[in-house]
Amino acid sequence: MAIGMGLGIKQAATNAFFPLSPLHLPFFLRHSFLPFRLHVLATDIPRSSAFSSFGTSSVNIMSWPCLLRNGYGRVQMSGRQDIIAISSWNAAPCKSRSVVAAASAETLVTKKERPSAGNSSAIEKKDSDGPDRTSWRPSIDFKWIRDNKDAMAANVINRKTAADVEKVVQLYEQSCHLRGEVDKLRAERNAVANAMKGKVEASKREELIEQGKQLKERLAGLEEQLTKISELLYFEGQRIPNTTHPSVPIGPEENAVVRKQVGVKREFTFPVKDHMELGLALDLFDFEAAAEVSGNKFYYLKNEAVLLELALINWSVAQLTRKGFVPLSTPDIVRSNVVEKCGFQPRGQNTQIYSIEGTDLCLAGTAEIPVGGLYMDQIVSNSVLPLKLVAFSHCFRTEAGAAGSATRGLYRVHQFSKVEMFIICCPEHSEAFHEELISIEEELFDSLGLHFKILDMATEDLGAPAHRKFDIEAWMPGLDRYGEISSASNCTDYQSRRLNIRYRPVSEALAVKKVKGSLPPLQFVHTLNATACAVPRMIISILENYQQEDGSIIIPEVLQPYMGGLGFIRARKL
Amino acid sequence: MKGKVEASKREELIEQGKQLKERLAGLEEQLTKISELLYFEGQRIPNTTHPSVPIGPEENAVVRKQVGVKREFTFPVKDHMELGLALDLFDFEAAAEVSGNKFYYLKNEAVLLELALINWSVAQLTRKGFVPLSTPDIVRSNVVEKCGFQPRGQNTQIYSIEGTDLCLAGTAEIPVGGLYMDQIVSNSVLPLKLVAFSHCFRTEAGAAGSATRGLYRVHQFSKVEMFIICCPEHSEAFHEELISIEEELFDSLGLHFKILDMATEDLGAPAHRKFDIEAWMPGLDRYGEISSASNCTDYQSRRLNIRYRPVSEALAVKKVKGSLPPLQFVHTLNATACAVPRMIISILENYQQEDGSIIIPEVLQPYMGGLGFIRARKL
Repeated sequence: MAIGMGLGIKQAATNAFFPLSPLHLPFFLRHSFLPFRLHVLATDIPRSSAFSSFGTSSVNIMSWPCLLRNGYGRVQMSGRQDIIAISSWNAAPCKSRSVVAAASAETLVTKKERPSAGNSSAIEKKDSDGPDRTSWRPSIDFKWIRDNKDAMAANVINRKTAADVEKVVQLYEQSCHLRGEVDKLRAERNAVANAMKGKVEASKREELIEQGKQLKERLAGLEEQLTKISELLYFEGQRIPNTTHPSVPIGPEENAVVRKQVGVKREFTFPVKDHMELGLALDLFDFEAAAEVSGNKFYYLKNEAVLLELALINWSVAQLTRKGFVPLSTPDIVRSNVVEKCGFQPRGQNTQIYSIEGTDLCLAGTAEIPVGGLYMDQIVSNSVLPLKLVAFSHCFRTEAGAAGSATRGLYRVHQFSKVEMFIICCPEHSEAFHEELISIEEELFDSLGLHFKILDMATEDLGAPAHRKFDIEAWMPGLDRYGEISSASNCTDYQSRRLNIRYRPVSEALAVKKVKGSLPPLQFVHTLNATACAVPRMIISILENYQQEDGSIIIPEVLQPYMGGLGFIRARKL
Repeated sequence: MKGKVEASKREELIEQGKQLKERLAGLEEQLTKISELLYFEGQRIPNTTHPSVPIGPEENAVVRKQVGVKREFTFPVKDHMELGLALDLFDFEAAAEVSGNKFYYLKNEAVLLELALINWSVAQLTRKGFVPLSTPDIVRSNVVEKCGFQPRGQNTQIYSIEGTDLCLAGTAEIPVGGLYMDQIVSNSVLPLKLVAFSHCFRTEAGAAGSATRGLYRVHQFSKVEMFIICCPEHSEAFHEELISIEEELFDSLGLHFKILDMATEDLGAPAHRKFDIEAWMPGLDRYGEISSASNCTDYQSRRLNIRYRPVSEALAVKKVKGSLPPLQFVHTLNATACAVPRMIISILENYQQEDGSIIIPEVLQPYMGGLGFIRARKL
């Protein structure tokens, strides 16, 4: 299947930035989007008869003429037509459920539970009676884990995470066994109940009643055990990290493999300054005042740095919109369970996440979280995949546990603006989309004139959700080292099993025929995320690489139209 | 007791000293208590009020000026929610799941519109000599208090961060004011004119009713804010300048609006005088506030401790100690240049076409790559 990655398309229209007025921000000349019809796909809802010719994901990208004219892709939905059903945790068993069960026989799609009285962390153990009950459960494929336990155990060791595969398998076996017992007892009890209907001798009746009672007690006992084992199973199970791509280097951070280098280190004929020195001389930031107002690692941007921030955001959003990504502006505040579902720990020690007092809300550390949440508990129509989104947000991170010189200046801060790419796709395409994301990043940073390395991160550095992670580190001459400016992760189904995002992999023919019972079961989508622009790291890279001997900064050419044609940041004469 | 003293005299003195020390301690304790009470009560006293401010409740506000006229529609008007949902511009449902009520995602052209509004506002004000700032959204709670807000009252507008003394700023006014906290500003740099972009967070506790539907009242929004620090004799003139900048901005967006001199019960403690602008929102069939410009005189500066020395240049050069005039508190003013959700409402509702598409105001079109309209899609 030819997958037309957005990169392969050359824009037919010229990129014209017409300078109508200073500081104008032209994203694209003309918008033109083809009506994009979605088909509503559901087991019980009659399908609309007409559907767009852009049905299959392989055709989606190529066939949008908007891309040829600098337009951008836009999914038309009124209400939420791209979403065919909201699979509610609390829904009564519906027809599709059996299909779901068939797809992944042992994934337990459970009802929403009340949050425990304590905190809702899935990680912390209550001392007295076992793990905390969480208010949601990931759909973990325990059967698969059991069948692949050696590989899973090796994976855990490679990633150096605290997960116990053996224990999970044991608990799973136990819970299966218990469930079998419970089912047997239930059957027996039903038999007894049936036997009591109709004409029965008095003595026999009493016997049956007694049997019924005993069965009920034993059943209650077993069910209680099952609940406990289940909880333990999920507690241990959801600590198991994602699988790892076979090409990922094993070991610590240093073992990362350089996939590619782009550009070369610039040669300076004068002593280089770091971004702090440059920025303070040009009155571009104020860390001192921010330390008073907000604390360390906060900052104000001033003057041209503000214009640079806005230019970077606008330029990134424009570039990605042109490539067919749907722009989003997301909430910076999210519920803590959404944070957990994306694979972050809102309440651990050394958590990266700020929490809001008196609520179950947190500040998002990345737009990945609210974007993932946007599709939470949804069944996505196959025809809209891949969903490509670009989101702008303010990110907040505690940076607890991060210390040392790497925390100076803009390098590690508590708040920053970021433009993030997010893709939802079917499993067979995620690897290709990972490649697409990293080449988009490469293209963006190359056009900014930066020199950087693309790294295939090693197992100990992946983080639980990532199957594979590519980081880009740009050369920062003032800091005299490479510094991370972006990260692109393929999370496969780790997040979607927690966010509960699924789709039905139907071919068009089958969908039209709508032969009930022959529809393939729902599957979990794959999710990917990648940084398009983390503003402070970009500011460091630009200031340090584009500095001139007199301390002024040249603005990268592609950003100049977004700064009203401003070509440089020049020191003011006092 | 220093120096040579007779033994009996010394004892007398020691006894006197002890008694004095006790009485002193007692009085000092009283003084501390009274002082605390004094400040507690004292800081509840609101700012003085400009003599022209109408007295009474919200309804007594006086219309200073009207700009533009209500557009005549030849078809039934829709409100911004209906328009926006049909054009897939926002998602409140999903946001309610992810974050709660009164949160929202902006999508598609609405994102471009948000960025265009921010960029255009910053550009306009930078051209007028305002220094652009990007401010922290998180601030210490004492800075919030110094600006005249109540971080910990009941029905507070302010979100607090667990386990810290930090809060989410409800407006960039707070971190901008904080930027000059405890400073002595040189007379030669006044007036300081700043334009700040930030994400604002408000609990909107206690706000209920139909006025809370859609984008009108939300927990998070982007805002571009103007802030001026000046010497006292100029604040009234700068208040006029701020309101005419706002008038110019909203007029060039083609909006119809009224400028109101807000009444005493509506001022809020820090404001000496407050001008609000309410734009006509045909879909909501009423005027809705899109901006507010306050002259806080020295209310904030006395709390933020921002002062300047009113010296003439000649004196400053001479630097004759003792003949320099004493430090004085500056005056601060703040005004909304662009509160994005209210602007989106105004634009969607006023520029709607019969087929549900939206014309983009001309001044914003270059900031949206020449996009002239948001068009409904044929299904």
